[in-house]
Amino acid sequence: MVSRSGTLKNEIFNISAKAGDARSGVLQIGDTELSTPNLLPVVNFYAGGKDASLYGGGIHRTIKEFMNGDKAINGGDYSRYFDGVMTSVASLTDYGISRERYEDYISAPIRERDVFDFDGTLFLDSGGFKFLGDRTLDGSDFEVEVDQEAIVEIQRRLGGDALVNLDHPISPDDDYQTRVEKARLTAENIGEFLELTNRDDTRYLTLHGYNYSMLDTFLTEVEKVIGRNRVHREFDGAALGSLVPLKDNKGKLITAVSDCREVLRDWGFEELPLHVLGISSSAIPLLAAVGADTFDSSSYIHSAINGKYDTSLYNSEPINDVDFTKCGCQVCSDEMLVRRMKGDVKYQKDKLGAVAMHNLIVQKEEINRIQSAIQAPGDDALVSYIEESLGREKSMQRHAHRVVNESLGGYF
Amino acid sequence: MSTIKTPQVNEVNEFLEIASDFEDPLEVIRESLSNSYDAGATEVKVTIRDRPIGSEIVIEDDGEGMDRDDLESFFDLGNSTKRGRQDGSIGYKGHGTKIFYKSEEVIVNTTKNGLNSRAQMEKPWEKLNNRTMPEYVLNEEVVKGGNSGTHIRITGFKSGHGFSPASLTYNKIEHYLKWKTLAGSTGHFFSDGFREMEITVILGSEIDDTRNRLVMNNKLEFPTEQREPGEGRFSESRMCKHYPPRELTVETEKGNTTTVEVVGMVGGKDARNELPTYGKHSAQFGVWLAKDHIKVERVNDTISHDNEFLHFFFIANCQELELSANREKIRNKSSPVYQAIVEELSHYLSKIASDPWFKDYLSHRRKAKLTRRAESQQSSIEKREQRIHERNRFTPSNDAEVVLGLERSNRFGAEPEITVEDYDPSAEVNALVRQDTNLYASSIHRRLTDHFEADKPLESVDKIICWSYGDRDDLSELERSGYHSGEISIDFENDRLIYNNGRRHKIHLVTVQDRL
Repeated sequence: MVSRSGTLKNEIFNISAKAGDARSGVLQIGDTELSTPNLLPVVNFYAGGKDASLYGGGIHRTIKEFMNGDKAINGGDYSRYFDGVMTSVASLTDYGISRERYEDYISAPIRERDVFDFDGTLFLDSGGFKFLGDRTLDGSDFEVEVDQEAIVEIQRRLGGDALVNLDHPISPDDDYQTRVEKARLTAENIGEFLELTNRDDTRYLTLHGYNYSMLDTFLTEVEKVIGRNRVHREFDGAALGSLVPLKDNKGKLITAVSDCREVLRDWGFEELPLHVLGISSSAIPLLAAVGADTFDSSSYIHSAINGKYDTSLYNSEPINDVDFTKCGCQVCSDEMLVRRMKGDVKYQKDKLGAVAMHNLIVQKEEINRIQSAIQAPGDDALVSYIEESLGREKSMQRHAHRVVNESLGGYF
Repeated sequence: MSTIKTPQVNEVNEFLEIASDFEDPLEVIRESLSNSYDAGATEVKVTIRDRPIGSEIVIEDDGEGMDRDDLESFFDLGNSTKRGRQDGSIGYKGHGTKIFYKSEEVIVNTTKNGLNSRAQMEKPWEKLNNRTMPEYVLNEEVVKGGNSGTHIRITGFKSGHGFSPASLTYNKIEHYLKWKTLAGSTGHFFSDGFREMEITVILGSEIDDTRNRLVMNNKLEFPTEQREPGEGRFSESRMCKHYPPRELTVETEKGNTTTVEVVGMVGGKDARNELPTYGKHSAQFGVWLAKDHIKVERVNDTISHDNEFLHFFFIANCQELELSANREKIRNKSSPVYQAIVEELSHYLSKIASDPWFKDYLSHRRKAKLTRRAESQQSSIEKREQRIHERNRFTPSNDAEVVLGLERSNRFGAEPEITVEDYDPSAEVNALVRQDTNLYASSIHRRLTDHFEADKPLESVDKIICWSYGDRDDLSELERSGYHSGEISIDFENDRLIYNNGRRHKIHLVTVQDRL
């Protein structure tokens, strides 16, 4: 495809190093800085409770205690693992709250709440993936109709640094007509999203498609609705969605992300930061290698809830079988937290919350290694990293070879 | 009372056993080449003649020669002075030269450090079979320094059944040496100091008179690279890519490591045909484990099942491998070292299998196959066109064409109009047809007789639609003998078949050729 020219409003992303298609840099959003590639843990700031309980949420509350460095988790400083965080509008009513509490939740920006000690970058997803059927936020005694305007309003009230438009995610079973219709509906939201926000906002354009042609069709629909100039001028980043149903199919994930980068290149968006919505863990190195810049995921919490203690991005152990002395992370080096993980604690949330924090550290440290590998001169460090990590996992080997061959110049 | 007993060895039997393992005179050459190489030779000449008493084999080299100790090792069993692992020599078991015992006479004439030794052993095989240990006579003489080398003459070598020297040819020897001996060494890929050795083989004209001699080096060479497809119908067939030598470090036990030296190629059939394979050609590809850079056994399960090993030819050398006496098998397969080697190789080969060039090659191969298939389709189309030109009128060659014929008859105004509304070739009653406004269960066949040959029922059929009746005598026979325990009568005049199996069924026969 012929490259389409356009003036980009690309002020937030400074790429400092590349290795093949992978890149490393800094996202400057508002007063915050986020090095890339990076993983944004999903945090439910509002999870049913009141301010005295950090707005509740069981294991989510424990995570917020880690984020704050509260005494409840022995006062350690974990803020570096919360340099960027993803939260979703749709999670606000996950806990069946009353209208009164809902109003309270959106009454002040997250960063201004005294109970939260958070100064990282806050990504605010629209939660389109949760509004597939009826477009409402359902509380216990109320419903809020959500449209693009309502979503932007909530995103603003919560004080998000990076905003994502309300989208209509696709499913692998959707036929062509359904995908085009969803693209058209998303495009209408995008038009409205641009009207409701301004250039001072950091705006991420959602993209939906599993390969080049689907993504090209998607962008064509968007272009039809809002016009070429606006597509090209007004976004600061791109967020690739609808991938969660493919999370166990690494081959398809690689295709989606590498094709997405290709489409963005052909549409003149090459330098936009690319966020991959809802994917993490073992896919991170592969997707970073083909050009994804940021990820978000709640898998660190889900693993913990399922009793899994991660030993790497690819392996985990049942929490009751773990030898904690083998891990040098901040959680496993804290005697009190280790006792909790061994079950010596009243509430399950405090046991599993510590495991979740450990899991997050495993993922974040892996991201740091990927950053270093990209930043090293040449492509060899990233090839070696992939070779030594993923390449040795039987199930990942062919995917590792593929990204080395397709994005890093190959082995021979 | 306890007694201490020492197990005894029957020396004669041991010699017989070891020597019996070798049957092929080619193995004599293999052992001789290894010995000459270990003796530092740069040239070795092997001459084989077919004599009435058995073959005569002469091996001459310019190596360092043998002294009295070396000669003892040469004739002794399991007493090699060469310790392979330490000094890099190939032989170290002291088994190989015992192949020479299968002969009428062995004469070794060798010079080392100014001493010439001549050892002569008479009728070793006969003596061993008579349970006598053969002896050799050794004469030594001081000669002028500077000359060294060994000359071995084996007279009356007893080849095993099917290994007569008369069956040898230069071509066969060349392939054998390059495939099974150090003449096909991959050592030169890994060492700058690789020692070259010129190998000359001379066969008596009574064995092969097509040339005077065969001269070769001791290096395995791959067919030249050709990364792009060629011309013609088998364009992928000469494609070939070399994968340069790589040293893989393998972690074995307790933090120990060993090195696997792997080199190879991937290529199409024509490229592979250029390799001097020995044995069934198609069974020679894949991944070979090697020791001393000489191939031993294949480990094709190191290539994942998606990738046919046939396209691969890799040699992975590791000195940690332990071999059987005749070097045909690896002995330490159950060791962790072997497992680790295989695992590392699998990993390396998975990279080859994922190499974009290999995928490109497979894709060319697939395309060439499709093109050939399209060509063959085209030729089949041409034949069918010719058949159409040659016939006078439309004639169906299968049931579906009868349906088309029926539709054609409607178009041309045949009465009554019969249209096929539903056609399922796999169903017992394969069609529902409409005539006037009614639907009729029908059986459509090229010939009426086909319905009966297919053993189809008549009770559920209203019409049988066919191009023609087929063999009327077959139908008459059916009328005579009945069908499915009922009686049949056919009224050809009125296109009616009456079937009576207790109930009377009237079936309308439609012959499509009569409607056109």
